[in-house]
This record gives sequence, C-alpha cells and structure tokens, in this order.
Amino acid sequence: MKLTIDNFEQESKSGKPKNKNWIKVGLSTCGIAAGADVVFETIQKAVKENKLDVSVFRTGCAGKCYAEPLVEVKAEGVARVVYGGVDKDTAEKIVQKHVMAKQLIDDHIYSIIKEEDNGEA
Amino acid sequence: MGKLKKIILVKDTANNKETVRFAELFNSALRDRALDEQAQVVRAADINIYNQGVVVRIMPSDITYVNVNEKDIDMIIRKSIKNNDIVKEILAKPEDKQIRIVLRNCGNVDPENIEDYLAADGYLGLKKVLELDDRDKVIEEIKKSGLRGRGGGGFPTWMKWNFAKEQDNETKFIICNADEGDPGAYMDRSVLEGDPHTVVEGMIIAGFAIGAKKGYFYIRAEYPLAILRVNLALSQAREKGLLGQNILGTDFSFELEIRLGAGAFVCGEETALIASIEGKRGCPVPRPPYPSVIGLWGKPTVINNVETLSSVAPIICKGGDWLAKIGTEKSKGTKVFALTGKIANSSLIEVPMGITFREIVYDIGGGVPDNKNIKAVQTGGPSGGVIPEKFFDTPIDYENLQNLGSIMGSGGMIVMDEDDCMVDIAKFYLKFCVDESCGKCAPCRIGGKQMLDLLTEISEGKGTQEHIEKLKTISHTMQKASLCGLGQTAPNPVMSTLKYFENEYIDHIEHKKCTAGKCESLYEYKVIEEKCRRCGLCKRNCPVDAIVGDKDEGYKIIQEKCIKCGKCYEVCKFEAISRGNN
Ligand SMILES: Cc1cc2nc3c(=O)[nH]c(=O)nc-3n(C[C@H](O)[C@H](O)[C@H](O)COP(=O)(O)O)c2cc1C
Repeated sequence: MKLTIDNFEQESKSGKPKNKNWIKVGLSTCGIAAGADVVFETIQKAVKENKLDVSVFRTGCAGKCYAEPLVEVKAEGVARVVYGGVDKDTAEKIVQKHVMAKQLIDDHIYSIIKEEDNGEA
Repeated sequence: MGKLKKIILVKDTANNKETVRFAELFNSALRDRALDEQAQVVRAADINIYNQGVVVRIMPSDITYVNVNEKDIDMIIRKSIKNNDIVKEILAKPEDKQIRIVLRNCGNVDPENIEDYLAADGYLGLKKVLELDDRDKVIEEIKKSGLRGRGGGGFPTWMKWNFAKEQDNETKFIICNADEGDPGAYMDRSVLEGDPHTVVEGMIIAGFAIGAKKGYFYIRAEYPLAILRVNLALSQAREKGLLGQNILGTDFSFELEIRLGAGAFVCGEETALIASIEGKRGCPVPRPPYPSVIGLWGKPTVINNVETLSSVAPIICKGGDWLAKIGTEKSKGTKVFALTGKIANSSLIEVPMGITFREIVYDIGGGVPDNKNIKAVQTGGPSGGVIPEKFFDTPIDYENLQNLGSIMGSGGMIVMDEDDCMVDIAKFYLKFCVDESCGKCAPCRIGGKQMLDLLTEISEGKGTQEHIEKLKTISHTMQKASLCGLGQTAPNPVMSTLKYFENEYIDHIEHKKCTAGKCESLYEYKVIEEKCRRCGLCKRNCPVDAIVGDKDEGYKIIQEKCIKCGKCYEVCKFEAISRGNN
C-alpha cells in the first residue's frame, strides 16, 4: 500500500510483524568477513529444525568490528544479550542453550541490554 | 513466570584467566549463601571498561563495579544481590561516550526491510518536510543545526543547499558521494550497508529543499553489498510511494539512481565525480564555478557525503536546535570515525564533536595492545596528518585539527605505536597520492613523484639535510598550486610528520637508523651468540630458510637470503635476535 501524508500515521508502522522472540545477526561486510554468513545459516537451520517460534533476521554493522560476528538474542524468560566472536559452535549453543534452555553462554557476552520489562516475562 | 534471575557479569579487564577464577569465586559465594537460584554468574567477553581491574556488572539493575577485590564479593552480594542497594566505594562512573545519530539504526534494523526502518520512525522527517511544504524552513532548520559537510571539507551544509536553491533553473541535481577512498575508512560503507534508507531519506529531503527532481548515488564499485542494499532500498521506497511520482501523495516527484565509482580516489573529489557521472574521464576542473551553481550537465548540483545526508532526517525530526546542543562552538553534532591500527578494539564509533583523542583511544578503543607505547593518531588519511600524544587532550573539531596540521577528514582514525616509523608512514600516504594523481596538473603530478623519491632516499639512509629543505619547498608549491584537493593536501602527511617527528627524520639521515624497524635498508637481524640458547626455534620459523646452523654450532642469519620479515625476532624467547644498524 502506498503511503500518503494522511495515512502515514496509521500505516507506516503497520507492516512490522511483532514476534516476542528474535535473533539478529550482523551481516555487513565486516560481519561477513568474520564468518557471519555461516552463523546466520546455522541459526536459521537450528531454529527451523527445533520448530521454534523465533524470527531470525539480519542487521548492519553495530560498530564493534573487533567482536564480529555479533548476534543479539531476545528470548522470553532470559535477558536480552549481545554475543560476539560467534562461530558455528557458539551459534548452535545460542539456539540450544540460550533460547531453549534459557542459559547464558560464558565468554561470548558483549552486553546485556537493559529492558523495562526485563523483570517479568 | 516469576522474576528473572539476576545476572552477574564478570570480567577482568587485564587478564582472562583471572576472569575465570573470579567468576568461580563469585559462584561459590552465591552457592554458600544458597542464592544460586536467584542469581547467575557469567563471564563477559567485553564490558566496555578498560584498565580497571575486575569489573562486575549486575543486570537488570545495571549496577557496575570496578577494581573489585575478593573481599568485596560479600558486600556486593549483601547489598546488590539480596537487595537493590549499591556499594558506593567501587561504583563505576557511568559513561558512554558515544552518541549515535548517524548510526542510530545500524545494528538494529534489518537493512533489507523497509518496515524495520519505518518502525524506527523512518521517513517521518520526509513526511514532516512535505507537510510543511516550505523549502526555506527546511534549509533554516539545517542552518540552525550547524551541520557541516562530513566528507572532509566541513563546509556548512545549509549554505550549499541555499546556493543551489537560489539558482533559477528547472533542472537541478543532488548527488550522494559514496566513493569513500581513504585508506582505513569504512564509515560510509557501514551506513549504506546497515541503514540505506537513512541516506535515501536524506537525499529526498535535500532534493526537495533545493528544488531537484533527480538525484544520484555515486557508490564505489568495490562496495557490492552496499550497492545491492541501496538498490533494494530504492525499490522498496518506490513501492511505498516514498520515491518517484507524487511522493506521499503530494505533487513533489523525485527519482534516485545509482552510478558506480570509476575506481579512482580522485573521483571522490566533487568536480571529478561529476565528470565521471557524465561519462567523462574522472579529472577535476578548477572551482569556481562551484557545483551548486554549475554542476552535473551544467546544472546546479549539491554534492553531499553519506554521513552528512544521514544526519538530515534526525535534524528535521528533532529540530536543528537539538543537534546544535551537541558539540563545540563551531563544530556541531557528532562524527563517525573508523578507529583502527594499534588499538585493542578496532571499531566504528560515533562521538560528539569536542571529545578528546585520549577519550577515544583509551575509554572507547581500550588502549594500545601488548603494552606498547603509543606514538600518534593519524586522521584525514592521505590528506591529513599525525597528532602526537602530547596533543591527545585537544577537543576534536574541524578548527583544532587544522591548527594541529591535520584535518577532520572523512573519519579514518589510525592509531600508531612505537613500531610505526614516521618516515615510512609519510612515504605510504604519499605513494598513495602519487598512484592516485590524475596527472592533469604539474604540481601534483611532478611534485608528488619528486617528494616520494626524496622520502625513499631518506628511508634508504641516503638522505641529507638538503632533502628535508627540498621536501618543504615542494610541499609548499603543491599546497599552493595544485588544481584540486588531492594535490593540495598530499604533502600534509609529510609536513605533519616532519613537524612533530623531525627527530625520526634526523635518525634516518644522520644516524642511518630506523628505530621502529620499518625501513628495511637500515637494519638487519642478527643472532646474539651470548644470549642464544640454541633451541632452533628461529630456524624452524624462518619462512625462507635464511637461518643456518644446528644445536652444536649455534645459528646464523644469512643476510642475502633474509627478507626482514622479523619472524625470528618475534619467536625468540631469549631476546637473542637483534634488530640493529647494518
Ligand atoms: C581527492 C579527493 C577525494 C575525495 N573523496 C571523497 C569521498 O570519497 N567521499 C566524500 O564524501 N568526499 C570526498 N571528497 C570531498 C568532496 O570533494 C566533497 O567536498 C564532499 O563530497 C562534499 O560533501 P559534504 O559537504 O557533505 O562533505 C574528496 C575530495 C578530494 C579532493
């Protein structure tokens, strides 16, 4: 649908499907050079195989080039975490340990994002 | 579901082994107090605080402690785990020195999905502009913001727009300069790849403000992913009625097209860029007339850098006064830098103007790795210069950098340490400019080559004091007489290294010495017999078999075969390899 000045307010934000659970992978040149495409595929596959209700999508460079590939995870019941230096193995752990078992993965945490609703799920 | 567990992030900022030990200590302390159901300890990989011992952060309360000792654990548990109190003595000062305006969406939105950008208030600026339907008000807002060109020159953006707006011409153009060619710079690439719609929105607003119906992205061909994502963004914007005929249902129509860079650094210079789009050889022409008066196909044209255009929508949404509150008196807003070189955390950062080099290098970049001594920071790439450590407390803005003999440039920031030779650095940048000179004007074509020859002789130990005098004379001529910015600024790296590190030039000239060990002709590697324990590690690691000998006889380096890679020097555990004058 074409946007117009009049319908902008109602329509411009209607297209984004909201999923409570998602995983974002930094897929710019810097991330891809560090292996983010493999990480992206691995996560997509693992989410599908386990029939999880999690959206997986790409983002651009978040600026932490030294920590690429970067993966941000928001899953119900666990804190929202940015993992860095993710390889295939860690990518699998992100799905199995973080999303499914709700445990954080040591040594790959670059930040935990503070959310208003972090206390309750 | 009940409350989430508290998370305790642990990181020793100097030593990873210590992180593991400390995390275990903390864990057992929790177990002893039967609190392991309520809180979980995890080892962080990075916590964005450097050189402050063990750092502990408690989430979601977001309390951070620095220089934590074992004896603090009990107190932290009592105050911050069982309760939501703080231990004042070890509390970290909260400081995030970055402000993300240009990069606000990078790493957050899906660059291949316009819905994501729209959900982040995307195209709201465009809607506002078209609703207002007043070019002068748009330009007024940009004027209030104090925005200056981020492509290097720092020219006030509103003035450029206003010149073009004032031109009485049916046809006008807006061009986005995405030819990013400075070695070490990748700011524009990251924005185009991470948030292409921001730039598209900025272009459409600029087009409206000056009265253009058509715009071009000039993207270097070496950025295939950026090209793909901008292309996708353009077609998505068209589908949504944000680009093309009757944008947002108004009578404003505007089209955008992509042109690929011709693969030469000089094509980033605005007049050469215009020639390149016109299908001609990318050579600059003298200004004035400026492109905003006579530009692409002879029509008034505004050329703006990617980062400049990315700042436009936020200014329209939040108001010019909002941006003008950030920064210094004459330099407003933020600047994106690609922080690379001898730095712990190579990163793309966006900082307010007025921040100091020290804050960038130590608080954001995490300092220099391997306890090496920092020497300088280079800004502005081949058009810029080096800034030595004694000026690290200078607030970064256009004027201060110029006074220090460098420039803001497009945002490359390369950290150099004791292993970097300033003669070698000057040679590197000058070589770049000599390779990239279009050859049209004599000062740049001939002067650059002559300077490079002089520098090469100095680096080979064949320099004299006269070399330095000649370098200065040619520099002066190039700065004054070159046709375009390339030649005018090419001597900057030489002049600034000479200004601050003349001692290194003297070392090369008088003592035939390159302390940093970069100028190959001036040093050789030797085995120091008295120190050698005959382990043979150097021989095994030499990639060209230039080391002979055995455990009985000892080892020797054959100079004729040695390629001076420094591998033996690095691997020797007994400091038995010397790198010295030959
Ligand atoms: C040799 C040379 C190379 C340049 N390369 C670029 C470039 O890659 N990107 C850029 O934005 N500006 C570059 N410039 C600066 C442009 O000529 C121009 O000033 C700039 O695009 C204007 O945009 P701004 O006002 O938004 O900064 C270059 C200038 C010179 C002299």
